[in-house]
Amino acid sequence: MGVTCVCQVPVVEGKSVQQTVEQLHKRLEQLGAVKQGSFFVDCETYHATTNTGAQPSKLLYVMHNSETPLSCLVLFDGGPTLAADANFDVLMVKLKSHFQNAKGHKVESRGARYRYADFLIKVGTVTMSSSARGISVEVEYSACVVPGDCWNLMKEFMQSFLGPSVPDLPSVFSSKAEGLFAPADCMDTMNQYLELFSKIRKQQVLPGSGVR
Amino acid sequence: MADVMNVGVNLEAFSQAINAIQALRSSVTRVFDSLKDGMKNKETLEGREKVFITDFQDNLQAVNRDLTELERLSNLVGRPSESHPLHNSGLLSLDPVQDKTPLYSQLLQAYKWSNKLQYHAGLASSLLNQQSLKRSANQIGASAKRRPKVQPSTLVLPIQYVDDVISRIGRMFPDMSIELFRPNGTSAVLLVTLGKVLKAIVVMRSLFIDRTIVRGYHENVYSEDGKLDIWSKSNYQVFQKVTDHATTALLHYQLPQMPDVVVRSFMTWLRSYTKLFQTPCQRCGKFLQDGLPPTWRDFRTLEAFHDTCRQ
Repeated sequence: MGVTCVCQVPVVEGKSVQQTVEQLHKRLEQLGAVKQGSFFVDCETYHATTNTGAQPSKLLYVMHNSETPLSCLVLFDGGPTLAADANFDVLMVKLKSHFQNAKGHKVESRGARYRYADFLIKVGTVTMSSSARGISVEVEYSACVVPGDCWNLMKEFMQSFLGPSVPDLPSVFSSKAEGLFAPADCMDTMNQYLELFSKIRKQQVLPGSGVR
Repeated sequence: MADVMNVGVNLEAFSQAINAIQALRSSVTRVFDSLKDGMKNKETLEGREKVFITDFQDNLQAVNRDLTELERLSNLVGRPSESHPLHNSGLLSLDPVQDKTPLYSQLLQAYKWSNKLQYHAGLASSLLNQQSLKRSANQIGASAKRRPKVQPSTLVLPIQYVDDVISRIGRMFPDMSIELFRPNGTSAVLLVTLGKVLKAIVVMRSLFIDRTIVRGYHENVYSEDGKLDIWSKSNYQVFQKVTDHATTALLHYQLPQMPDVVVRSFMTWLRSYTKLFQTPCQRCGKFLQDGLPPTWRDFRTLEAFHDTCRQ
């Protein structure tokens, strides 16, 4: 597992989400990338019911990633993270009295997975309650483990198919105190997805972007 | 068109020439027949001789006539075979049953191939002569008798000395950690970890570097039974390429008299990969080409280039 960057790609004006995704696929294939199956990332939100006093209730996110199909990744709002077995979902049902599932807050990103040399590219459509809200692009450079080292290289690669709208170094990496070493699990990636999902959730529903 | 016409004329001349040859042969036969029969029975001896001589003269004149005729015709026939680039084999192209026996086209193909082969072989041999790999050049250059004498002195070095050289090199480069293993007897295997970029396994024979393999920093260098895995290649294209280049470097840095210098130069060269992902290509100025960063390092200047950008 190398250095990963997740970013949102704006929908091209006058085109639907689907068309923009297809355009991205086309550009990747022209570059020489090879399609390798599909992927999904999903996220469910839970509220803590044991709310004490004036503090706003903390949120708990339970996420799944098709790269680690046997694990379930749990992230507290600004707190610790946890990688658990897949049947953690069942445990959450038992903990109903402490954590309540926020209905209709389930977000997921699904799409195709491409490989190009040592890069892994995942172009996904972000859907919330069955309406397409945006496009996520995840680029992973698996040969390197230090984000600061290969960032320029990744930026050049992303420019080659995303055009000028390339994001800055993800904040997950820049805020890390010691070194820029990405740990072996995919928490950094999930953090970035979470950030992206909450950004998209706050967005207004784009007119005419429903799933067809 | 001209060719076709020519062939037609020649064919006519040919048939005439063949007729002329037949005539010549028959006239020559007549000469010998008359000679064999000898003089015919006549009343007088003089008469006999006279008739014989006239017959003989007539026959010889006929031979002469036919011969002149043949010479005239042979000029007309000319030499068609030499006008063709492939000489006599060119006549195969005249074969009317092309489809059944495509001999001529096959012949042309084979000719082209052999021409090309000769050309490329010539190029290759001139190139190889220019930049002969030093290791093999040594084997050819040094006389066969001297070679075995040189080998033992450098191949059988005390273990202590090898350890010493390696640890000195390790102290020279603080960003490079070198671990030494001796899994099977006296030969050393080095595990070189370069920053957070790569790990290289260097298999040594005494102080000669025998083989090297480069893997990613986060890749496994041990096999399941806990030994160093010196065989399987990296999963990443970048490091597969770097492995190739490192093998080239092994062949480049050769100095049989001073093996410690060789190891030191190789390690200096390997250390230039510490900025593998951070340095753009010195020629094209880009980071990526075909999805790979600049994997080549110049042997002298240690500058970074893409594999296709160097020279």
